[in-house]
Amino acid sequence: MIKLRTKLTLFNLFSKLAFAAVFIAVMPYIIERINSSQTDKELLRKQEQVVSMINEIGIEQFIDSESENTFGSYNILKDEFISLERIDLEENIDFIEVTQRLIEGETISFRVLSYSFDFNGQTYLLEIGKSLESIMHTRKNIFRLTWGLLALVILITLFADLYYTYRVLHPLDLIIKKLKGTSSPEVFNKLPVKTSTFDFNQLDQTLIDLMNRIDVLFRKERDATVNISHDLLTPVSVLRSKLENILLQENLDNDISAKIEESLRTLHRLKTLVNSHLLIARIENRQYLKNESFSVGELIREIIDELSPIATEAGISLIYDPKTDFQITQANRSLIFSMFYNVVNNAVRNTRSGGKVTIISNFIQNRFSISVVDSGIGISEEQLKRIFSRFNSKSNMDEDHVGIGLAITKTIADFHNITITVESKINFGSTFSFLFPGTS
Amino acid sequence: MNVLIVEDEKSLAIEIDAFLKNQGFLCEMAFTGTEASEKIAVNLYDFVLLDLGLPDYNGLDLLKEARDIESEAAFIIITARGSVEDKVKGLNLGADDYLAKPFALIELQSRINAVARRKFAISTPVIHIGDFTIESSSRRVVFAGAEVELTRKEYDLLQYLILNKNKVLTRQQLYEHIWGNILDDQYDSNFIDVHIKNIRKKLNLHSPTPWLETVRGIGYRVTIDP
Repeated sequence: MIKLRTKLTLFNLFSKLAFAAVFIAVMPYIIERINSSQTDKELLRKQEQVVSMINEIGIEQFIDSESENTFGSYNILKDEFISLERIDLEENIDFIEVTQRLIEGETISFRVLSYSFDFNGQTYLLEIGKSLESIMHTRKNIFRLTWGLLALVILITLFADLYYTYRVLHPLDLIIKKLKGTSSPEVFNKLPVKTSTFDFNQLDQTLIDLMNRIDVLFRKERDATVNISHDLLTPVSVLRSKLENILLQENLDNDISAKIEESLRTLHRLKTLVNSHLLIARIENRQYLKNESFSVGELIREIIDELSPIATEAGISLIYDPKTDFQITQANRSLIFSMFYNVVNNAVRNTRSGGKVTIISNFIQNRFSISVVDSGIGISEEQLKRIFSRFNSKSNMDEDHVGIGLAITKTIADFHNITITVESKINFGSTFSFLFPGTS
Repeated sequence: MNVLIVEDEKSLAIEIDAFLKNQGFLCEMAFTGTEASEKIAVNLYDFVLLDLGLPDYNGLDLLKEARDIESEAAFIIITARGSVEDKVKGLNLGADDYLAKPFALIELQSRINAVARRKFAISTPVIHIGDFTIESSSRRVVFAGAEVELTRKEYDLLQYLILNKNKVLTRQQLYEHIWGNILDDQYDSNFIDVHIKNIRKKLNLHSPTPWLETVRGIGYRVTIDP
């Protein structure tokens, strides 16, 4: 993938170079044409001057009628000459061509104008020449100048293009940056990007509108979850109180008591399900405060204290291996506690007797990380794909568990910008890694 | 103690009423905010159990009213809208405790007792059970003058069972009391069993604990003869 700015700059550069190449290819021909027409005009002008001069002062000034037949004159650099000759001709001559002339033993190429005219009954041939070398010289100069100018123009416009594309595409960069930093619609920066480009303004406005609409939809969905949850909790509460009151009756048959306890357990599951969805909706609605600052290491130790009786009973060693500690700020302690607790508890539950659950804290690329490594039964690839889903496979569910713990963990992690990754191999165990946001 | 139950869900109010009466409380019920407002203005209550979601009244307004007329009643808020803001608002307005629906009736009772002890400065009793002494004020279990070391969770469990003596408590009720709602999903019946096992192990080193019973299929009970 190539950046738009690079593409535009490259295209500009190539089109300039192509234009320059065509120009350079055609230029000699054009200059030749301009040059020769210029030279020919000059020769014709000189011819007129000479003819009018002869008409004014007579031919005798140049050719003494008796003694000589020709007159010649050239300047000392031999790049121009004029010659006048008395000749007999049947046809009129009037043309310009390139010929070679011998002047003082030197052969020089000239562009020569030949012109015949009658004067006092005699035909004369006038020849005016300009050496090709002098013509070539000017041509070379023009060439050099054009080349230099061309290179300069390309260079200057290239830098101008670079700067301009940077300036004009900057709002697009800002929009992309804004989008990249958006993990959910409610954190999308709704301030419009400053731009004078209509298209970018449209793009930005459309995105903002879209995000607003998604935000509203999400909010509605979560509000619905919250409302349904409340509505469900009241009848659950009634049922619970009724069953508890029955259970408190004296002389109750033990079988009936056991059945009521079972019903209470089912009710507890229902309550847990409702409350878990409610918890997720509340976190997503940002109803929890993130205003606590605490040591993550200490919190992990608390979790280990909580779970070690269970682990010991199950014959599992639960180890904390702190390489470092981290003071987290702007966090919700009970949520973070829950986030880790769910994963560590899962690890203990999914590890067989004799196994090991290790919690490692470390710094990875300047970011604090906690890894929960177990030597448990592992998670299949199929399950791994849906591991954080709220509506997970049935495998996590049993009489006591509704299997929503990891969805809660993920929601809490997202709420705190913590990245979770899971690696697992069947029969070898799983690793859950929590990467905290950078301290900068 | 006089308790006013303010709850628009009649069947729930009736259950709470029956339970508390059974535990020796004097109870009255109000199914609407207006009714509750009148009752609070006229009668003296030690406790008001207040449901925030009343159809005709904002529950928190009722709390404000009661404070305005300098009612001495302790307020315990019970609500299905267990949001953080509600809780903070309620406690800021002077509510004494807060319970999210659905709660266990025995949890309600233990909250009432805890508030009563705090509010009416009732000294925490020293409980003798078997050959052990439970000193609630210092959270210690003592045998023959020496402390039996229990973890915090173990102590909480034992104390909860003792405070609700002669009642069978289910594992969920115990779990909820100790771990609260946020870890609901992590509930494991095994948790309570392991802790009870450890409590027994520690106490049995000193003296047998026949009073800490397992009630098969239901839960646990501490039996103390009156």
